[in-house]
Amino acid sequence: MASEWIVLFAVLAPVAFGLLTLWLPRGWIEPRMVLATAGPAIAFAMLLNTAIDNRSALQAQHDYAEAQASHNDHAHGDEHDNSHAAEDASGHHGHADSPADHHSESVHADADAPAPPTTGVLPWMPSLNINIAFLTDGLGLFFGLLVSGIGTLIMLYARGYFGRAGPTSADDLYRFYPTLGFFTTAMLGVVLADYTLLTLLFWEMTSISSFLLIGWDRYDKKAVKLAMQAFFTTGLGGMGLFGGVLVFGNATGYWRWSEMLTHSDELTAQLQHVGEHPQLLWAFVLMFIGAGTKSAQFPFHYWLPGAMAAPTPVSAFLHSATMVKAGVFLVGRLFPVFAALELFPLVIIPLGAVTMLYGGVVALQQHDLKRIFAFTTVSQLGLLMAMYGVGAIDYHGQPAIDYDVTQIANHALYKAPLFIAAGAIGHVLSRDITQLNGAFYKHPAICGTMMAAALGLAALPGTISFQAKELFLYGVYHGIEAGNVVLWIVLVMTVLTAVCNVAICVRVWTTLLGLPGGMREEHGEPDHGHHHEHAHEHGLLAHLIWLPGALIVSLQFVGGVFPKLAWSRMLGLFEQPATAHNYFASHYGGLPNLTELSIGTPLICSAIAIVLGVIVGLAKPLRGSIGDFADRIYPAMYWLSVTGGGRCFRLIQTGNLKHYLLFVLGALLLGFTWAVQVDLADNDGGMLAALSSDTAGNLFEYWPGILLGLIVCLTAVLIPMTEVRIVRVLFLGACGFAVVGLYLVYQAPDLALTQLMFEIISVILFVIVLRLLPREKLHTIKLGNKAWRLVLSCVVGGVFGWMTLIAASTDRSATNPGKYPLGKTMAQHSYGNKDGLDTAMAGADGPELRGGGGTNVVNVILVDFRGFDTLGEITVLGIAAMGVWSMMPHRRRRDGRTAKPNNTEQPGVTA
Amino acid sequence: MSSSILRTAMGLIFPLTLLFAVYMALKGHNQPGGGFIGGLIAAVALVMVRMSHGRDVMASVMPFHPRLLIAGGLAMAGVTGVVPLLFGHPLLTSRAPYVHLLGEAIHVPTALFFDLGVLMVVVGVAAGMIFRLGGEVDPA
Repeated sequence: MASEWIVLFAVLAPVAFGLLTLWLPRGWIEPRMVLATAGPAIAFAMLLNTAIDNRSALQAQHDYAEAQASHNDHAHGDEHDNSHAAEDASGHHGHADSPADHHSESVHADADAPAPPTTGVLPWMPSLNINIAFLTDGLGLFFGLLVSGIGTLIMLYARGYFGRAGPTSADDLYRFYPTLGFFTTAMLGVVLADYTLLTLLFWEMTSISSFLLIGWDRYDKKAVKLAMQAFFTTGLGGMGLFGGVLVFGNATGYWRWSEMLTHSDELTAQLQHVGEHPQLLWAFVLMFIGAGTKSAQFPFHYWLPGAMAAPTPVSAFLHSATMVKAGVFLVGRLFPVFAALELFPLVIIPLGAVTMLYGGVVALQQHDLKRIFAFTTVSQLGLLMAMYGVGAIDYHGQPAIDYDVTQIANHALYKAPLFIAAGAIGHVLSRDITQLNGAFYKHPAICGTMMAAALGLAALPGTISFQAKELFLYGVYHGIEAGNVVLWIVLVMTVLTAVCNVAICVRVWTTLLGLPGGMREEHGEPDHGHHHEHAHEHGLLAHLIWLPGALIVSLQFVGGVFPKLAWSRMLGLFEQPATAHNYFASHYGGLPNLTELSIGTPLICSAIAIVLGVIVGLAKPLRGSIGDFADRIYPAMYWLSVTGGGRCFRLIQTGNLKHYLLFVLGALLLGFTWAVQVDLADNDGGMLAALSSDTAGNLFEYWPGILLGLIVCLTAVLIPMTEVRIVRVLFLGACGFAVVGLYLVYQAPDLALTQLMFEIISVILFVIVLRLLPREKLHTIKLGNKAWRLVLSCVVGGVFGWMTLIAASTDRSATNPGKYPLGKTMAQHSYGNKDGLDTAMAGADGPELRGGGGTNVVNVILVDFRGFDTLGEITVLGIAAMGVWSMMPHRRRRDGRTAKPNNTEQPGVTA
Repeated sequence: MSSSILRTAMGLIFPLTLLFAVYMALKGHNQPGGGFIGGLIAAVALVMVRMSHGRDVMASVMPFHPRLLIAGGLAMAGVTGVVPLLFGHPLLTSRAPYVHLLGEAIHVPTALFFDLGVLMVVVGVAAGMIFRLGGEVDPA
């Protein structure tokens, strides 16, 4: 198994190298590009090495299991032989953890399920269940290689896109590489992290970096707004995921994905009777909200087309190939366990299918190339979701669908080149498809890349895309055969979506080649907004604007034409289907071979889609540029939450100090009343008894205390009844000094001393501050409307006195061993009864305790066993002093007069 | 606010008050006192010098900005809290050993250093606020 340090290094390499580029001088664009590219490239190499290691390790394990099991597996019959054939053809055996694997356990019941290949654990916050560990199973490694591989090429493309000669290109690249490196690291973390909360952490980091990259043009208000839209939407999903992870962890005690996978049998049993474990249902629903928003599923899909405000390298990387697939990845992670949930297909299939068809239909009616491809991305994400939903329907003990990795790889391998070419053509000509008639003859390389990638979009034979679509159609058809008639609807929707995709491909080809039937200007207003004029570059580096796309798209055709190669060298590293599909006459590890297709429903569906697609693509209607009605969802939600939230906010936050005090004190009284009630009902009623305890009796009989208390009350009442501020301050001081006297007569000398010093300083401060205030307006005090406030004050004061009595007198040590009264507990913690001090109070009845070792309880509380509080308090003091120094203007008047504050209308403190 | 009687008396009172402040802080662990009280006492002494002698004398008595006291105090308290971590104890763990000096066993809790940090912060905050706000009403 891989070392955790190696994977950690691979995850952190992109951001580390991205940050290193900041050390280079601004003008050094090419060294910067090389350095930034090194990060994801290193990550790619290390992850590839890990994948190969994993495969050979697992293969050895698998061979051993085969040898053990070969005696007694005849009972399984044909099915097993078939899978042997498939494995032999692909030349290897091992695979740990494709979603299918857990289903395959029912087939290969004789072999133990291999443990998920986790790395070691680096402790980080063990008490919070967050540690650093990685799960390098097939799904995670596949995504990791996808992210780092495409990331490497996008780093190169960014150089071509931003160019050398543009006015801002040096500045753009300066910021771009670190930000993109940050995203790459975050995305690698999401797919490789083993701890659920670590995944969540990286998940939020992808949202943040996506926000930064969408709002790349800081001065474009619209882009910033769209960035916020994307951030809020995916952030909402992040909260859902957070809640889901917490609920799952609390319900099951599993905080690692690998734990979830190893205990899948137990969890599956629980999920099949989810009525008894409602928490698991909630965990799934919340996590699915995270997955659905991130992967732009139907009601939340609006942010993805909006995210096209980002520079094209970002669109190609984040918003088509990797980040939007994080939701799909999450569902793939959950699939082996949560597929047992009855709700799983019922939620995911309809949502995915609707997203799929809706995205396709809207994409057909766009003019901006990036918007076209954005909506097809939405459509494809819907298909991927629906795929997992279909896979969850279990037929005859085997999943209806495999090859999720093939499906995901296929989309990345044509969508990223489409975006790369769209950005490139937007640089040299325009991104509006109606402006591009005959563009192929001017820019053959860029247009050739786009046309080749469009073939993948259309899923024509000869591409991996075709194989993936066949497999999906077969999965749905398999479901129908097994008697699930509703899936006919899904089949029809898939075909309709395929029609839209083929039509888009046809339009791209006819337009770029200038053939009849292409898009022309008369179909709508030309959109000049997306054209950025850049000086044309020459030389090798100029080709970076299309070369990465061509490299990526070539894999589509290599894999499509040579499925055996694709399987053994690329996709087979990551997944191992449970069962070979008998439907395909020839299958290399499951990928259908182009030359040996057998006629059946899936193939007929594909043929229908292609024929209809060509007709629709050449037809005149459906060529307008329409808006997406869902673009209004976000503004409506935003308005509702901001305006509605503001209204609610105003109900509570009136801005009036009296109201705030009323709320606080009212809540205090209610809470106290409730506590007394509970105490009387469920406990010994000690809170009420405190009023008649000996402590209370002693207080009421000691006449110096009563006298001083009366002085305190009198001065307190006099403060609001006087008019002149300075007199009020003096009354306040008198009140404070009376309290000093109270401390003295009740034998608390250090409290008295502290209070005395404090009173002196506060009176001086008040006098100084009052002289800075504007002249006060004298007005007569009316007691009438203050009567009820007086009552409230008296009640609150009484309650506080009561609380003090409770703290001083309640003793429950008889019924609760070890629970001493407050005073005794404090004394015990201060003295300790272990280290030989005079322990009069903390006698033998307490537990062995090494306290603060001091006899001044107040001081030991402050500096020793509650020292952390004090540390916080002195920090706050320092911050307050800094506030005074920075906010109070340091003006000195040399003429001896008092400086006048600027704002003379500001009301006084006591008004 | 400057009277000659106060001014003369302050020459004697001020050092004594500061000494008393330190004394209060040092004995705080077992007897009434502590860093907070000590800090307040010292702050009152400084304020009185400021009132009797004016800003310029004050500047010679305390030739640095009070924020240095705050920073130093916070650092001292923070370091006292962090040091136990180095020995594998929780934050702010204290020991109360006896130091034998000239034949006397003196009780020196490590919390004392924390307390001195508190003293410095309190002096810095109280004195600093009053100086800044009082700058407005200075009689030339």
